[in-house]
Amino acid sequence: MRVAQARRFVISDHPLPWLLPLVAILLVFTVYPLIYNIWLSFHGFVPRRRALEFVGTENWVQLWNDARFWQSLVITFTYFAIALIFELVLGMAIALLLDSDGFGFGFLRGVLTMTLVIPPAIVGMMYLLMEDPQFGVISYLLQSVGLLNPNNPILATASTALAGVLVAEIWQWTPFMVLIFLAGLRALPPEPYEAAMIDGASSFQIFRRITLPMMSKVIAIAVLVRGIDLFRVFDYVFVMTSGGPGASTYSLSLYAWQQTFSFVKWGYGATLSLVTLVIILVIANLFIRIAKVRW
Amino acid sequence: MNGSFSTRMLRTIAAWVVVAIFFFPIYYWTSVAFKHGNDIFNRPPKLFAFTPTFDNFQKVFGISLGSGGITVTPGGGNFYMAPRVWDSIVIATLSTVLAVVIATLAAYALSRMNFRGRHSFVGWVLSTRMMPPVAVAVPMFFIYKNFGLIDTYTGMVLIHALMNLPLAVLLMKSFFDDIPSEIDESAIVDGASRFMIFRRIVLPMAKGGIAATAVLCFIFSWTEFLFALTLTTTSLKTVPVVSSTFVTSIGTAWGNMAALGAASIIPAFIFILLVQKHLVRGLTMGSLKQ
Repeated sequence: MRVAQARRFVISDHPLPWLLPLVAILLVFTVYPLIYNIWLSFHGFVPRRRALEFVGTENWVQLWNDARFWQSLVITFTYFAIALIFELVLGMAIALLLDSDGFGFGFLRGVLTMTLVIPPAIVGMMYLLMEDPQFGVISYLLQSVGLLNPNNPILATASTALAGVLVAEIWQWTPFMVLIFLAGLRALPPEPYEAAMIDGASSFQIFRRITLPMMSKVIAIAVLVRGIDLFRVFDYVFVMTSGGPGASTYSLSLYAWQQTFSFVKWGYGATLSLVTLVIILVIANLFIRIAKVRW
Repeated sequence: MNGSFSTRMLRTIAAWVVVAIFFFPIYYWTSVAFKHGNDIFNRPPKLFAFTPTFDNFQKVFGISLGSGGITVTPGGGNFYMAPRVWDSIVIATLSTVLAVVIATLAAYALSRMNFRGRHSFVGWVLSTRMMPPVAVAVPMFFIYKNFGLIDTYTGMVLIHALMNLPLAVLLMKSFFDDIPSEIDESAIVDGASRFMIFRRIVLPMAKGGIAATAVLCFIFSWTEFLFALTLTTTSLKTVPVVSSTFVTSIGTAWGNMAALGAASIIPAFIFILLVQKHLVRGLTMGSLKQ
């Protein structure tokens, strides 16, 4: 009986029936788009004929010579590095501060989780309002202490726009680091600390010599998970600046998206998104090897 | 680390100040939702002294909280957003169900069965988590167009389920790994089939983990922006996408937008508090256990 055979296979020890739905959806939604993207990167949209035409390596040559691409690469790396450093340092400092069983600390940790559930696009809008040169509360504060010239709106000045976006990013995701580091700190064994206390180590020495090394695995995972998202930043820049002023806040993802959907350069947009993908995969996998992160 | 009373006091004060700084933007945003236009555009910004109003909520949700209790009046205005909230709820719920069902099946196999290439399979799942959404959205836009999936629940549910699958698989695997496999083995000796063990023994034991996975999938779908922006055009939109359309040629409807934003935070926040125990494990895709 065929049916009985099939039934026995489905309930057997073979992993295939269990993995099949996952494999199917991953193939359709990641491998197929990937192949399509590669195909698309060798084609260009001809508006006059409203059709895609084979253009050979034209898109790749254009990419190599496109100053704006290289600029967006630099902007993406800058964004990535600054955000990661701030989130790590602030996150660790706040985690150390909140690592206490005192009254109210559980409540404070709960409040911090709030930032994580707000859609980043809405966070972008929040900061767009708060950084408004006329009635934004952050701009007002900076202007009244003389740190900001009222004639230079934060998000419309090339030199400060990226910082304006980064404020929103760091505000939303520092609590992410805090929660991860807190969990790591709470899981540390007490013995090394007791020994260090007896030896009379200072609290900085304890942090440097005991806490940091024991937290290295936790820090590596936090860097990996956050780093992946940082490198593909899109929501904040799309909502807050759309890449401007000039091209001072173009992230790779935003540049690829705009080339595809705003300027109908389908082939070039696909090329850009492919490059973004390759960079992330290479860096993330290198990091996993070097930091020995395991799942 | 017990210090003297004064250092503990200092630490408590510092902790409250830091958290207050982080909470301030949320307070400010919520206050905007309750402000009249002229209070929003005041300089210096009004933080506490303003006359609260429900106008913004009324416009956005068609619900008025007047003296006669709550009345629902579906509005026809540009900023009537109740249907968009409904779209978001449907997409987030269905994509969560789909992702959790598929992920649970796969995670059980990855946790319990020994087969060649298991490690590379986990690696592949993890690497799909690294794909930048834009690299999926560009080709998917053309594919969806061919199949008529733009602006459909089906299209959005599929893409959000895909987005959440790597997280859900790795997270569920870590929860299954916590359940001793001796339980499975003794059930096999008793003659139970794999599927029966899965359904009757392992699934009930992993209830908390499934709940945590579901909540995270829901929140990530709820907050997702790029796919929703790319794969919907007019008749279907999610809350994050629609909130960026409040910018009009005559200015931005900040009050209405804030009302929508503030209201959209509340359900997600309640959900996340329910699974706080597993939150860090979820945020790190199962690699850190609390």
